[in-house]
Amino acid sequence: MAELAIRTTSLTRRFGALVAVDSINLSVESGQFFGFLGPNGAGKSTTIKMLTGLLAPTSGSMEVLGLDFASRSLDIKRQIGVVPEGMGLFERLTGAEYLDFVGRMYGLDRATTRQRTAELLDFMQLADRPKALVADYSHGMQKKLALAAAVIHRPKVLFLDEPFEGVDALAAGALKQLLGRMIENGATIFLTSHVLEIVERLCSHVAIIHKGRLVAQGSLAELRAGVAAGGDAGPMTLEQIFLSIVGREGSAQPNPEELSWLA
Amino acid sequence: MAGVARPIGILAQLRLIAALRWRMTWNSLRRQTSRLDAAGMAIGGFFGMLMVIGTSIGCAAGTYALLSSGHVGLIGLLYWVIFVFFQVFPLFAAGFGRKFEFRSLLRFPLGPRTFYLLSLGYGLTDFAAVAIVCWLTAMTIGAWLARPGMVPAMILVNAVFLACNVTLERLIGSWLERVLARRRTRELIFALFVLLSIGGQLIGQVFARGNLGGWATPIVIKIPSYFSVFPPGLAGKGIIAAANSYGGGIALACAGIAGYVVLFGALLWLRLAAQYRGEELSETPAAAVARPAATAMGATAEGRDLRWLRPQVAAVVRKEARYLRRNTFLLMNLLMPVLLVLLLSFQLGNISRRRPSGSLPFKGISAEMAFPGMLAYLLLIAAAPAYNSFAYEGRGIQTYYTAPVKFRDVLQGKNLFLVMVIAIQVALCIAALALRVGIPSAPRFVATIAGLVFSLSGQLIVANWSSLTFPRKLEFGSIRNQRASGMAVLMLFASQIVIAGTGIAIFAAGRWFGNPWLPAMVFIGLSGATLGGYFASLDGLSELAEKKREVLIEALCR
Repeated sequence: MAELAIRTTSLTRRFGALVAVDSINLSVESGQFFGFLGPNGAGKSTTIKMLTGLLAPTSGSMEVLGLDFASRSLDIKRQIGVVPEGMGLFERLTGAEYLDFVGRMYGLDRATTRQRTAELLDFMQLADRPKALVADYSHGMQKKLALAAAVIHRPKVLFLDEPFEGVDALAAGALKQLLGRMIENGATIFLTSHVLEIVERLCSHVAIIHKGRLVAQGSLAELRAGVAAGGDAGPMTLEQIFLSIVGREGSAQPNPEELSWLA
Repeated sequence: MAGVARPIGILAQLRLIAALRWRMTWNSLRRQTSRLDAAGMAIGGFFGMLMVIGTSIGCAAGTYALLSSGHVGLIGLLYWVIFVFFQVFPLFAAGFGRKFEFRSLLRFPLGPRTFYLLSLGYGLTDFAAVAIVCWLTAMTIGAWLARPGMVPAMILVNAVFLACNVTLERLIGSWLERVLARRRTRELIFALFVLLSIGGQLIGQVFARGNLGGWATPIVIKIPSYFSVFPPGLAGKGIIAAANSYGGGIALACAGIAGYVVLFGALLWLRLAAQYRGEELSETPAAAVARPAATAMGATAEGRDLRWLRPQVAAVVRKEARYLRRNTFLLMNLLMPVLLVLLLSFQLGNISRRRPSGSLPFKGISAEMAFPGMLAYLLLIAAAPAYNSFAYEGRGIQTYYTAPVKFRDVLQGKNLFLVMVIAIQVALCIAALALRVGIPSAPRFVATIAGLVFSLSGQLIVANWSSLTFPRKLEFGSIRNQRASGMAVLMLFASQIVIAGTGIAIFAAGRWFGNPWLPAMVFIGLSGATLGGYFASLDGLSELAEKKREVLIEALCR
């Protein structure tokens, strides 16, 4: 079995009476492009926040690259990159200043930071507005900058919370190109997304969380095998797999008879 | 399509929105930080109430005295004080509760009239509005005690005057918000403000020294009469007319103020109509100027290499410098202490110059008193931002938590930058004081500087704790609803009172024992202790930051 990049054991997070993440056991191998799916409010962002140090778990443990998060969080943070929910940008810096800041925070020397900043801005097509503040960037530009910041220190594991949300096709293309290059170089990518087509195209492995519990985990082929109805309609899409699993777990399907007043 | 929403009346909409605000305020109290904030505001509100009660008694007594002693001609001054307070105070203060942008209600089927009334309603919920209602009521009570027959006229004048104030305050607020939404205009207004402050000081000096040129004197003498056509002057005239039982004068004054109400109301209508049509009040995007990537990197060269610092601390210092440069209001706050110290030194110099010459030195006041007093005053203002030091981070706060950095580095970077700024301010003030009042004796000088180190390092411990425990997001380019958490403000006052009390006691001890070097020695000892305490506190604060990460992220990422 390959080395594990991420492992959680009975990871739980409560907000008062609400159990947002309920005792999940995740295993992500190094080099995998891992999609973490779930309906709204299922616990995806809460999980990714715990895995990146933005939220403390109520109980359970997490290991990233074989290191225990509770005791080695700084060592882990040096080796991971994060695009958090909301992107976490300093809006009153320019793109170059922000990357310079992040590079230095990750301990890169000045020359390396400057070189990588220039290359990343160029690659992301953000170099032509050197004086624009991040606050003045479009949403897509901010996403690209957040991704650039997440990879500037060449992380071994990259956590992306909805990286394609609100991004146009051109920007999405640049993001996918960068992510593909990282996977080729042996990095592990853990992403959440609502866009199942993108996850299906990019990810080799998927986990589905529903109402805080992990309801499926494995490669796409394994998931297909798990929910296959035995028909001849061809391989199931990820959307069909997702709906099948989430539906099976008791999600109420909308009744067309309801909201009749809208007709 | 059946069942399209029926229009509802203005009153029903206003009632709904009032209920919405109340529900938002009430729900915000579910969070512990908001409860603490509310507690802080309640304590602050208590002292504010005491202030309003005290000044209201003053207004009543003043009105009574003026009316019963025959000096009714001076009552216009009271109206001027109320007028200036109401127009200036709301710019610096903010309402209670979570920020509520009533423009966001425009997505509902809200008529322009409802929107207008809402805006005016907001003008009446400010602390300042409550205060002036109390003062005007107190003036009416004073009139009732002195000359009961004047009460109807007083009520009439005060009601129109209040309407005028509320309308003008809303007008100024809405225009300022529009004008200051543009970065360039904000910088221009800031420059004008500084120029006016300095210009005002110079004019004040000319007046104080009696060097007014012969040509200017007649103009200056006439200035007060020009002021009588403004609302406070008219209100004063109305009361004078009432005192003389001249009904026509009362009607004329009220009509004049009502004219202002109509004018301000119309201008406010134009402003709000623009908002109603969908005007966007936000930072104007910077012009996109295409440049080669190599030039783009030039932007990062601004931060000089702070090689003597850990890279993470240096990165935070550079980031703070960039944020300061782009935040006009913060820049103004940092320049204000120096300007105020200069202003005070002028004022004190003038007061002492009017005294018969005694033991004071040539330039007026004693440097022994002025030097520590003014530097303490400087620190009082300059250290305040440290109590909510993450205010402008916004979503960027997450970077501190995802990066491999301990919060002690972040706090050190922020504190170091503030210390550097305060050091520059102190140097400027010392230069100004040296010019205006001279340098104090060596023991007093050393004691003051050591006292500053003691005060600043002691305050930074509390301020860092306050920043982590009571964070409050502040926004660039916005002047309304921008205030620190009530608890952070209380922490600021409490620690400054304790430190100021300690300082005064130490200086008094030096005087008591007749040893001029005693305060210096005590302050040096205390500085060493608080500096040690500061560095010792950083690890504990780092742990606290980890515990408080959800509070910080939630408060700043809104």
